Amino acid sequence: MTEVETLVPRETPPDRPAKTVKRRNGWQVVWSNGKARTGIVILALFVAVAVCAPVIAPFNPKDSTLPPGLQPGGAYLLGTTNLGQDIFSQLVYGAQVSLIVGLLAGVVVTLIALVIGLVAGLLQGVVDEILSFSINLALVVPALPLMVTIAAYSPVHGLSLIIFVIALTGWAWGARMKRAQVLLLRSQDFVTAARFSGDGLWRIVFRELVPNMVSLVVAGFMGAAIGAIGAEAGLSFLGLGDPSTVSWGSMSYWANSNGAMLTGQWAWLLAPGLALSLLITALTLINFGIDALSNPQLREE
Amino acid sequence: MPAANSIDEPILTVKDLNISFVSKYRDDRQVIRNVGFEIRPGEFVGLLGESGSGKSTLGNAILNLLTPTARVTSGELLYRGRNLFTIPAEDLRILRWSEISTVFQSSMASLNPVMTVRAQMEDVFAAHRGASGAKREMTVEKSLDLVSIDHKYLDFYPHQLSGGMKQRVALAMSVLLSPDLIVFDEPTTGLDVVVQKSILSRLKTLQESMKFAVLFISHDLGTVMEMADRVMIMYAGEVVENSPAADALSGVAHPYTIGLLGSYADPRDAEINIRYIPGRPPSLDSVPVGCAFADRCGLATQECREPKIPTAEIDSPAGHRSIKCVLFGSETSDPLPAPTIFDEVGQQIDVHHAALGAGEVVCRVEDLNKTYSTRKGLKHTENHAVIGVGFELRKGSVTALVGQSGSGKTTIGRILTGVEKPSSGTVTVAGVDVGSLKRRTLRNYRSKVQLIFQDPFQALNPASSVGYAISRPLVNHRKLRGSEVREEVDRILGQVGLTPPSEYRDRLPHELSGGQRQRVVIARALAAQPEIIVADEPISMLDVSIRAEILQVLNELTRSNGIAMLYITHDLLSARLIADEILVLHEGKIVETGSTNQVLTQTRHDYTKLLLSSIPNPWQSRRNVPSIPAASSTSARA
Repeated sequence: MTEVETLVPRETPPDRPAKTVKRRNGWQVVWSNGKARTGIVILALFVAVAVCAPVIAPFNPKDSTLPPGLQPGGAYLLGTTNLGQDIFSQLVYGAQVSLIVGLLAGVVVTLIALVIGLVAGLLQGVVDEILSFSINLALVVPALPLMVTIAAYSPVHGLSLIIFVIALTGWAWGARMKRAQVLLLRSQDFVTAARFSGDGLWRIVFRELVPNMVSLVVAGFMGAAIGAIGAEAGLSFLGLGDPSTVSWGSMSYWANSNGAMLTGQWAWLLAPGLALSLLITALTLINFGIDALSNPQLREE
Repeated sequence: MPAANSIDEPILTVKDLNISFVSKYRDDRQVIRNVGFEIRPGEFVGLLGESGSGKSTLGNAILNLLTPTARVTSGELLYRGRNLFTIPAEDLRILRWSEISTVFQSSMASLNPVMTVRAQMEDVFAAHRGASGAKREMTVEKSLDLVSIDHKYLDFYPHQLSGGMKQRVALAMSVLLSPDLIVFDEPTTGLDVVVQKSILSRLKTLQESMKFAVLFISHDLGTVMEMADRVMIMYAGEVVENSPAADALSGVAHPYTIGLLGSYADPRDAEINIRYIPGRPPSLDSVPVGCAFADRCGLATQECREPKIPTAEIDSPAGHRSIKCVLFGSETSDPLPAPTIFDEVGQQIDVHHAALGAGEVVCRVEDLNKTYSTRKGLKHTENHAVIGVGFELRKGSVTALVGQSGSGKTTIGRILTGVEKPSSGTVTVAGVDVGSLKRRTLRNYRSKVQLIFQDPFQALNPASSVGYAISRPLVNHRKLRGSEVREEVDRILGQVGLTPPSEYRDRLPHELSGGQRQRVVIARALAAQPEIIVADEPISMLDVSIRAEILQVLNELTRSNGIAMLYITHDLLSARLIADEILVLHEGKIVETGSTNQVLTQTRHDYTKLLLSSIPNPWQSRRNVPSIPAASSTSARA
């Protein structure tokens, strides 16, 4: 990187733009941030673990034929559960669930927020009034009881339900931010200029507004993903998830309900919690780099 | 004054200062290069330069307020013998405000929005309890008297004051502890011309009565020259000239100074000669060897490309001058160059005018009114922005709409372009009343009327390339497709002087300078082949040295393409240069109208006279001052 960007003083005619400043793309800006780089490395490790789970995990996480209730150490790195499942293997497979939930729920929440934010910001009047009211409503309704209620009374249990519940309760904050951004951008001269150039609404939205909201959208996605991973773990820990999937939340649920701390199986309770905190920390660190994307003053020069 | 100054010890001495911006991702950029100067007690020093010349960095260095990426690589900054870069933080804190205070560029941002004016001012005293007894004589009330603000405003919050009043409050705050030096960083940028004039004259009176020294940072040479005792001109991080203002105006000066002064003239003169400096300052990433200005200088010789450019130290009747230019030699005994050789500096603006009333009428505005009504509870207030305005726009001619902010000139522009609807009256273009246009017909109408924006930094989408911006009107209004679009984009880029087009087509706006962006904005307006262009203060955000150049581009393109232009401005000098007809707007009404010459030379209305007097004219205020003993000068000063 540094070699490419080394500047060679050149004889540039004064009214030509100097070519010496290399354009840095978004990825380079994020990567150049030390915190974000740490986060990206940790996240990459988690992704690698999730993808290679069948190779890494020594046992099938649902295989309950092992000796039950073992302490950490020996052949079973983190011990076994009361049902005779390998905790380390469960931890490895749990990464899959957390990442999938984070990705899918993050995408769904971001899309809902983007569409509602754009529509509310662009169409003033009644539509905006109604959408803004719904945003405010969704913001004041306490999310946790709502999630618990929906999850508890739903006829189906599984990842799709969890994603649905998270999307339903998590879109409002992002929508409000995007609406505000649209209101700000639409009054800018370059949007007026596009109108004078004869551009239609759709082109103005996708060529003038959205490209200038990229950092906000990405930051919103990261926030939603963090929330979704946490919410999935929380719901599963309360026993409202799919009891048959192996996730960090359900591991904590089973560990807790089997009194893991009393029987000395500390790794059963601690490992999923730590893994969860580490993943969320990684995503938060990446968010620092994304902040630098939208605010050049935060860049580490 | 000069005699008294020379015996005093300087209060501020800057020695061989070098400041770089350091970055992990590129080579360090040296923004201040070997700068040295002195400020004496009670002296009014102007620090001038275009954007990016390093003048604000230098100002911040004096207050020791540099941002973390800026590093002082060498040099000293002595305030009464104490190095401000090395004194303990607490000493510096005490020194700030009681000895050196400042007025920032944007007082909207420098006043605390949640504190009343009184609370903020008293805060200053609270932070400096140790200030000597003499300094306590100044009170909050007295300081407001000094800037002519009524005491009732003490209990107001900043948002309840106008921009001009906030800047006056900032001025009052800066003198609270009777400091010896005040640094002003572009204190009137963004304010209305008339307001600017009144604040600056207030500052000058204050400075004369309180005897503090001033370092006045600005990009506007004309304004500073009117007030300063001495001026320092910065170019690419160097002080290229440091002279008494009278000497800088004498016609024998650094070619860059001469070039900058070329942008000023009295609009009332029968013949006006405006010159501009082609090109733009070098990027600080690669400052050329030798004189940084050589590439734009009409007088440059091989000598200017040598690594070491001597600084001439010259004693003149008005004081001491330092000029970094080979023309002035390096010995004190070297004769000053003859004034006539500076005629080669810069390029003369070349504008054409159309005869009044020539050309076919493309737009007729009749009895236009616009009223904004606001309702607050039961109270209903009406604001008449435009009252009974009527005029015509003709093919190939330029009509200037002149007035200060709030006069309604922008509203007229918005009505003309169909952005707003008039309350009554008609705007007729090609037989159609613009006010009656609906969504779809409005889009067609806009292929005939285009807008040039004030701020080139806001008018281009930061995420789209130059080529894309110019291609849109071609595709939408002129229905060009494929390679035709590409060829036409290149042709238009060439028309506005962005050549070769391949260099610019794929650039993003942030990779261009302000002047280049404004050319792109003009190119986009031209691309639609409009009949009418509304240009709303198109040069006010640009550096002084490139304004004339953009005016020339605008002038040339309207004439050669037969476009009718409505040129909206507060600046009568630029109106004089470009317009055939002037309409003076005051509080929504046209108070004076006529051909450019007629309005400016036989001015009838007082408001027009006020606007005329607000134009910075560096020579005018010194014309009556006999302090320039032209006869006794040893040099060939004419």
